[in-house]
Amino acid sequence: MIRPPAVGTAVSGAEATAGPLPSRAADARGIALAAAALIAALVLPAVLNTYYVRIITGIFLFGILASAWNLIGGYTGYPDFGGAAFLGIGAYTTGILMLRGHAPFAAALPAGCILAAIAAAGMGALLLRLRGHYFAIATLGFMLVLRQLTANLDITGGGSGINLPAASDFTVFYYWMLGALVVAVLAGFALPRTRAGYAIAAIRENQDAAQVLGIEPLPYKILAYAANAFLFAAAGGIYAYWLTFIEPLTIFNIDFTVQAVVMALFGGPGTVFGPVVGAVILKTLDVVLTNISLFLHNVFFGGLVCLLVIFAPRGLAEIFQSPAGLRASIRDALRENRV
Amino acid sequence: MSPSTQIALQNAVNGLLIGGTYATVGLGMSLVWGVLNVINIAHGAFVMLGAYTTYWLFTLYGLDPFATLPLAGAALFVLGYGLQRIVINQVIRASFLITFLLTFGFDLLITNTALAVWTADVRAVTTAYSGRSLHLGPVIVPAIRLMTLAAALLVAAVLHLVMSRTRLGSAIRATASDQEAARLMGIPIAHIYALTFAIALATAGIAGGLAGMSFPIYPAMGANYTFIGFVVCVLGGLGSVAGALLGGLIFGLLTTYAAGWLGPNYDYIVAFSALILVLLAKPTGLLGRTVRFRG
Repeated sequence: MIRPPAVGTAVSGAEATAGPLPSRAADARGIALAAAALIAALVLPAVLNTYYVRIITGIFLFGILASAWNLIGGYTGYPDFGGAAFLGIGAYTTGILMLRGHAPFAAALPAGCILAAIAAAGMGALLLRLRGHYFAIATLGFMLVLRQLTANLDITGGGSGINLPAASDFTVFYYWMLGALVVAVLAGFALPRTRAGYAIAAIRENQDAAQVLGIEPLPYKILAYAANAFLFAAAGGIYAYWLTFIEPLTIFNIDFTVQAVVMALFGGPGTVFGPVVGAVILKTLDVVLTNISLFLHNVFFGGLVCLLVIFAPRGLAEIFQSPAGLRASIRDALRENRV
Repeated sequence: MSPSTQIALQNAVNGLLIGGTYATVGLGMSLVWGVLNVINIAHGAFVMLGAYTTYWLFTLYGLDPFATLPLAGAALFVLGYGLQRIVINQVIRASFLITFLLTFGFDLLITNTALAVWTADVRAVTTAYSGRSLHLGPVIVPAIRLMTLAAALLVAAVLHLVMSRTRLGSAIRATASDQEAARLMGIPIAHIYALTFAIALATAGIAGGLAGMSFPIYPAMGANYTFIGFVVCVLGGLGSVAGALLGGLIFGLLTTYAAGWLGPNYDYIVAFSALILVLLAKPTGLLGRTVRFRG
C-alpha cells in the first residue's frame, strides 16, 4: 500500500550527520578551544564599548537558540518550527512575574524555563507522534496559537504588551546570555554521551528499527523537546529583560525559529559547536548588512537560505571537511538531490 | 425564526461563501505537497502576488477584478514553471527540511521585496457592485462573495478535469505515485514537476485575486494564507481536489462560527485545535486516500 508522504514514511527531518562520537583527542582540543573562547568572552565587556557588547549579546542569543534547536532538530531529527512559542513563554513568564509579582529576575527566569519545559512535555506528548511535515507545521501552528492567546488575555497585556522593570547595567544581559549559552553548549555536549543520547540517535536514524530494539521513542523525544524548550525560554526571558518591553508580534516571531534552524544547519546540525559557529558567522554578517540597509538584510537572509540549502544542504562544516574538496562536494550534493 | 437560528444560518452561509476562497488556497498547496512532497511555505506569498496583480490591474486599468483572475493565474503559472525548473528541481530529492527551508527563503525574498516596492499600506479592491447583496428569506448573501465561491468552484472543477481526463494529468499522477517508474515510461520528470508547480501557483494566483476581493491586501498577508492552506489540506486530506474543497468549506465554517461565538481573534486557536484533532484521530484527513494525487 502506498501511503501519502510523511505520514507513514520515516522521514528523519534534519538529515543530521552526527557520525560516531569524536575521539578523546578531538574532545580535548574542542574543550580547550571552548575554554579559551569562554575566558575571552568573560573579559570582553571590560575592553569593548557598549555598541559591541550589545551586538555580542545578540549573537549569544542566537547561539542559544541554534544550540537549543539542535537538540530536537539536529540530534533527534524532529524539525521543530515552533521554538518561538517557548521563547515567548519564557519572555512572558519572566515579564509577568517581575512586573506583577515583583519577583527578582533571577527567580523569574527559571520559573519561565520550567514552565516552558512543562508546556513542551505536554505539547510534545501530542505533537511528537507526528512526523516530518506534519510535525513541522503543527509546531508552527502551536506558536501562532500562543501568539493569539497572548494578544487576547489581560494578564499578558493583550496586544499592547507589557513593560518590564529596567536593569541597572547592560552588561547584566551579556553575562546572563553567556551563562545560558554555556548551558546550551553543555547540553549539546552531554546529550549524545548519555544513554538517552544513544536512544535519540537511534530514533533519528530509524525510529521503527529503534522501537523494535525496545526503545520506546516518545519519552526520549519529549526529553529532547523539553530541553530545547527550556533553553528557548531562557533566551526569551533574558531577551525580555533586555528589551524591557514585550508584545505578542515581536516575541512570538517565526524569525527566531527559522534563524535558529538556518544557523544550526549552516554550522552543522548534530554537532556540539556547529550551531554556535553558525550563529556567530551569520549574525555578524546580518549586523553588517543591517547597517547598510534594513531592506537588504531581510532579502539577503532569504537569498542566503536559498543558496545554503541548494549548495550546502548538509552544512558548511561537512563541505569544508570533505576529502574530495570544496567544489566536488558541492557538485555531489547537487547531483544527489536534483531531478 | 428565532434570532439565534437566524444568526447560525447566516454564519453557515458566510462560512460556505468564504470557504471557496480558502479551498482555492488549499488546492495549490495540496497539489505541491502531494506530487512534489514539498510543503510550500511561500504559498501564501504567491497568494499575495496574485492579490496585488488583481489590485493593480483593477486600480490602474479599471479591469473588473473577476476578469483579472485568469491574468493573475497566467502570471503566476509562468513564475511557478521557472522557479521549479531552475531552482526547486535542484533540491527536490533532498530531505524535506531542505525544501521547507528553501520555500521559506522564497517567502522572505518575495515578502520583503513586495514590502519595499509596494510599501506596507493596506489596500482593498472595492467595485461598484461590492455593496450589493441578495436577500434569500432571512439570510443576506453578498453578491461578490457568491461570485468568489462560483469562481472557486470553477477553478476546482477545471483542475479536477485536468488531473483526471488529460494526458498531463495522467503524467502528473504517475510521477506522484512512482517517480522512477514514470521516468522509465518516458515521462520527462523535471518538466512535469515544473508544470505541477506552475499549475499550483496559478491556483494560488487566482486564490489571491479572490482573497483580495474579500480581505485586505498587504505584503505580509501571505503568512496567514500559508497556514490556512495547510489546515485546509490536512482537514480534507491530501491528494484530491475534492479533499481540498471539503477542507476549505469546513475551514470557512469553523472560522466563521468561531468568530461569531468567541470573538474575532480566536480563528488560529480554533483552526489549530481542529488540525490537531484531525491529525491525531485520522492522519490522512477526512477524505484522505492511499494514493498521492487522484485529481
